[in-house]
Amino acid sequence: MPVSGGDCKVRVVASSSSVPLSQLPRGTRARIPCSALDALGERERCLLEAMGFSESCCVRVCRSGSPCIVQIDQTRFGLAREVSERILVTPLVD
Amino acid sequence: MSAPPIPAASPVRRIALLGNPNTGKTTLFNRLCGLRSKTANFPGSTVESHVGICACGTSDLEVVDLPGTYSLQLELPESRLCTDCIEGRVPGCGPTAMLVVIDATTLQRNLPLAASVLQRSRPTVIALTMGDIAHQRGIFIDVESLSRLLGCRVVRASGRTGEGIAELTAELEEAAERGLLGETHSPVAGLPAGSTDSREVASWARRVAALVSAQEPQGRLAAQAADARADRFDALLTHPVIGLVTFLGVMALLFTAIFWLAEFPMNAIDELFRVVGGGIDDLLPNGLLQDLLRDGVVAGIAGVVVFLPQIVLLFFLLALLEDSGYLARAALAVDRVMRRFGLPGQAFVPLLSSHACALPGIMATRLIPDRRDRLAAILVAPFMSCSARVPVYVLLTALLFPDRPGAAALAFIGCYLLGALAGMTSAALARRTILRGASRPMMLELPPYRVPSIRTAALAAADRGGVFLRNAGGIILAISLVMWWLQAFPRAAPMAEDTPPDVLLRAQHEGSFAGTIGHVVEPVFAPLGFDWQISVGVMNSFLAREVFVSSMKVLVNAGPSDSDVDVGTVAAMGRATRADGAPLFTPATSLSLLVFYVLAMQCLPTLAVTKRETGSWKWPALQLGWMSLVAWMAAWAAHAIAVGAGLP
Repeated sequence: MPVSGGDCKVRVVASSSSVPLSQLPRGTRARIPCSALDALGERERCLLEAMGFSESCCVRVCRSGSPCIVQIDQTRFGLAREVSERILVTPLVD
Repeated sequence: MSAPPIPAASPVRRIALLGNPNTGKTTLFNRLCGLRSKTANFPGSTVESHVGICACGTSDLEVVDLPGTYSLQLELPESRLCTDCIEGRVPGCGPTAMLVVIDATTLQRNLPLAASVLQRSRPTVIALTMGDIAHQRGIFIDVESLSRLLGCRVVRASGRTGEGIAELTAELEEAAERGLLGETHSPVAGLPAGSTDSREVASWARRVAALVSAQEPQGRLAAQAADARADRFDALLTHPVIGLVTFLGVMALLFTAIFWLAEFPMNAIDELFRVVGGGIDDLLPNGLLQDLLRDGVVAGIAGVVVFLPQIVLLFFLLALLEDSGYLARAALAVDRVMRRFGLPGQAFVPLLSSHACALPGIMATRLIPDRRDRLAAILVAPFMSCSARVPVYVLLTALLFPDRPGAAALAFIGCYLLGALAGMTSAALARRTILRGASRPMMLELPPYRVPSIRTAALAAADRGGVFLRNAGGIILAISLVMWWLQAFPRAAPMAEDTPPDVLLRAQHEGSFAGTIGHVVEPVFAPLGFDWQISVGVMNSFLAREVFVSSMKVLVNAGPSDSDVDVGTVAAMGRATRADGAPLFTPATSLSLLVFYVLAMQCLPTLAVTKRETGSWKWPALQLGWMSLVAWMAAWAAHAIAVGAGLP
């Protein structure tokens, strides 16, 4: 089985609307759409993209609330609320 | 794209080491260079790097360990330094070849940085690290295919175990030779030449990762189990209450260990320099040369070296915590609390360290990524009550509450709280005025939990100790010599041979330049209730606040000139009088003096380290000015309130 690299290649269905990452409960998986980081400032957006928050990546919420902890591929990230509430993602339903 | 020219005056075979944070880059650097490395601050950069020598083949390779960065295109100091170094714009840093570290467990995320390096056409070698974790998670990477797709050699290597280091060294040597001959790297397959479009590069990285990597189903299950364990640990360690309590517990253990363990080498250093000072007394006749060597040179060197055990221990233990994956979680847990004062979560450890000593605390601010946040933490770190303040607190709280140990203990705790409150308030003020601007909100990669490497921690501690001795040590020694001169000149008039040493010392203190300055500044301190004797004590302790006790003991004939505070000392101080016969240490004066010492800078080594860490005298000047102002105003207010309340 290929390594997904954080891509959502598993059999999941995306819900129709995007929600802030901060609102997702623990254990939820979501896809990062192309406009996910648009609400962030240029500096934060570029840094998150370089950290791996790229289009069509799959994130898993490891800890919801503040701080928010998410996992992309094998890496975890801690995000302050002011960041996680401005990342819009599309929740996935198994 | 052609490779930028290598500076002609640089015949060394230099390898620039680059990688994302948390890829094992520094561990690999330590394995390649070991102790043959040192910290480097390249001109024009506030970010620290390391330069080391790697022994290989016919001659050595110089390896420059650049700061970890996620991309070369970011508007961040670490990103700019990496770009400038690769493109030969930093003197003494132009590489002949590149070594890019890639974490095998996060190949796709690491590839864009490798692509940026490969596009610059220098001969490049890729080191694939974290093989052990990849193996646990059943991740397999086809190294040959990856090598073919990237057009450069890819070597599995581990800084922790030493696996693949010999092969990596051989490849680096060969790449450096090719670099010296001016050979360039061929274009990367599938990646448009010169493309910096992040989405295009991310798409390429996704394609490459999919082609060369695979994960066994069994490994996927093991990874899910490991993720579930990490979820539980993360939930606890970043919990608003449990996380904070855990953090405070870990920090309490850390500093207890530092106090306890550092005491032995510090006592040994103290004793060693006492013996050396005694040897000078025996070897040389009484006089200026003896004084200079004993009180200037030896005391100055002792004043530098005595800090070393605390600094080395602090950084050793912090490196262990960082490597274990805990420190990043701790920063996350305290971030919300610290943000209220304009500081990030990473500032907590340096500020707590400053309660032992501000020097290692200020050096530990390197954990803070944002420059404004870091400057704010450096500025306020000396407000935290360090161990050097303890003798002063003991003396003054005992004078304030002579027969009430419970009240004295409460006052003692109050000193610590006052210092912390002043520091945090000052940080909030600084972030809203001179350091105004949005700070980098917490976006932190959390490294995996693992057993920390003792070797990496030991090398980090040795490096920090070396940096302190090389950079701050010289300044501290020079300042010590100046302070000795101010206290030793002009020489007191000769007295009868049987004059007690304490009387001689008192005459020297009073008549010296420092004493004269004390007299001159007496009007400045008069509103605080200080007379000339206390003013001289304050000026004498400008080098280090603990000197206040020994100075005052000499000035009021309260015993030998040391920092010990015993019952006799307190009683003698309590009996001391002013020129008009009134008691010197009235409750109002003792209170204002206590408040003054809680808040005043009174530590020249701290100013030297602040200069070293900020690269400018502007910040230590501001630190000294602000703390002196706050101390004076608070001491004046305390004195006025005490007098207003009817205290003598």
